[in-house]
Amino acid sequence: MPMYGDLGNKLVQHAKRTQNLTHLPPYQTELVRTVAREVRDLERDVTSMLEPFQGSFDPSAEQATACTLLVNHLSMRRDKRCLLAYHRTRTDKLEELVWNGYDILDLSGQQQAGGANGATGMNEGGTTSSLSPQEEDYVRQYGDLLAAYKGHWTDIDLTGSLEPPRDLFIDVRVLKDAGEIQTEYGAINLTKNSQFYVRQGDVERLIAQGYLQKLG
Amino acid sequence: MDIDDILREVDPTFHSVPREKRDLQDLTRAWVAERSAPELLPWPAGGLFERINDRIKRQIEKVEEMTGDMDPKTNFVLIVIQTELERFKFLVRSYLRARIAKIDRHTLHYLSTDDLRARLSEMELAYATRHQALLHNHYLSSFLSSFPPSLQNLNDTSGNITMIDAPDLDAAVFIRLLEDTVVQGRGVDADGEMDGRESDIVILRWSDAKPLVEAGRAELV
Repeated sequence: MPMYGDLGNKLVQHAKRTQNLTHLPPYQTELVRTVAREVRDLERDVTSMLEPFQGSFDPSAEQATACTLLVNHLSMRRDKRCLLAYHRTRTDKLEELVWNGYDILDLSGQQQAGGANGATGMNEGGTTSSLSPQEEDYVRQYGDLLAAYKGHWTDIDLTGSLEPPRDLFIDVRVLKDAGEIQTEYGAINLTKNSQFYVRQGDVERLIAQGYLQKLG
Repeated sequence: MDIDDILREVDPTFHSVPREKRDLQDLTRAWVAERSAPELLPWPAGGLFERINDRIKRQIEKVEEMTGDMDPKTNFVLIVIQTELERFKFLVRSYLRARIAKIDRHTLHYLSTDDLRARLSEMELAYATRHQALLHNHYLSSFLSSFPPSLQNLNDTSGNITMIDAPDLDAAVFIRLLEDTVVQGRGVDADGEMDGRESDIVILRWSDAKPLVEAGRAELV
């Protein structure tokens, strides 16, 4: 028989693994549901155990019951912590992706590619997205929130590069066709494998998205 | 005009440094301090960021005006201005991002008391409140709503274990002394004390360094 908290531990291990991955592994719907059920079962045990005492439970008189209650109590809190930790790790990751300019469509697209590479098929229902529906909602709302905060600082471009700027102009190589971009020196047509000397501020977005590579 | 303004006007050092330059110094200092302090520092008062924002806006307009000109001389000036502009933008961006990162890590802590809330700018406060609400909602819809009501809180402090995570105020920081002063530090076994000279660099716990920094006797490096 599995011990209390075993499943919660599994969630924490998933979370730990997620921290070192570049993509988000599938959401553990079943595991989350089981841990939540364990909490409810424990709570029901506690209630039924306390019922005969009618609110006049004396821990020193009933030491065995008191001990069981304590273990149940701690296991519930532990499960809760595990669940919180698991979800927080994932939302942190999602927020990071939102900051890097991905939106919800990019994310589910990326997840599909990840699934084709043989990611674990733990999530049920045959959905290709590794985000839970709640997480998709979260990404959408967080994106709005970030956009609102960024709106106060339009001139600065908060999601821009955090590397200190060294040169105004940089050499870039085009990795993927990106079409035509407008700069203050006129339009540049970015075709694959060509190389340009451009203003960093104009192409930062494209570098972050992997269209361009910075040289030197 | 209050007493500070009057005092400042008779201060001989006040007029030697133009306001723009002081703003840049303040910004740089705020940026360095924010990046090395383990906890969130107060949002700078006195409209520093409004002024800096205005300047960035003016420079952007200037750049746009000058771009039409094809004279090589203006072109050179243009490059200098743009480089400076990019640096300014970087400082502000990096500063704001450092703050957001701290706020995100300990949201509930910074929202818990009025003192701590006062450190956030209005926009940051709105962001933090909304972010926390989003997170709570997400937990609720993912699993928390199926929990017994007594377990649904996120700010439980019972059993001597608080759920509100706070920054480590005892983390080590480097400070540079701006004047001669006595530096006191708490140690593991014994407390220490030293006579510091101006421009000495000391490493000590942030909780010990904080009074010196707040009094303007030292700055974070």
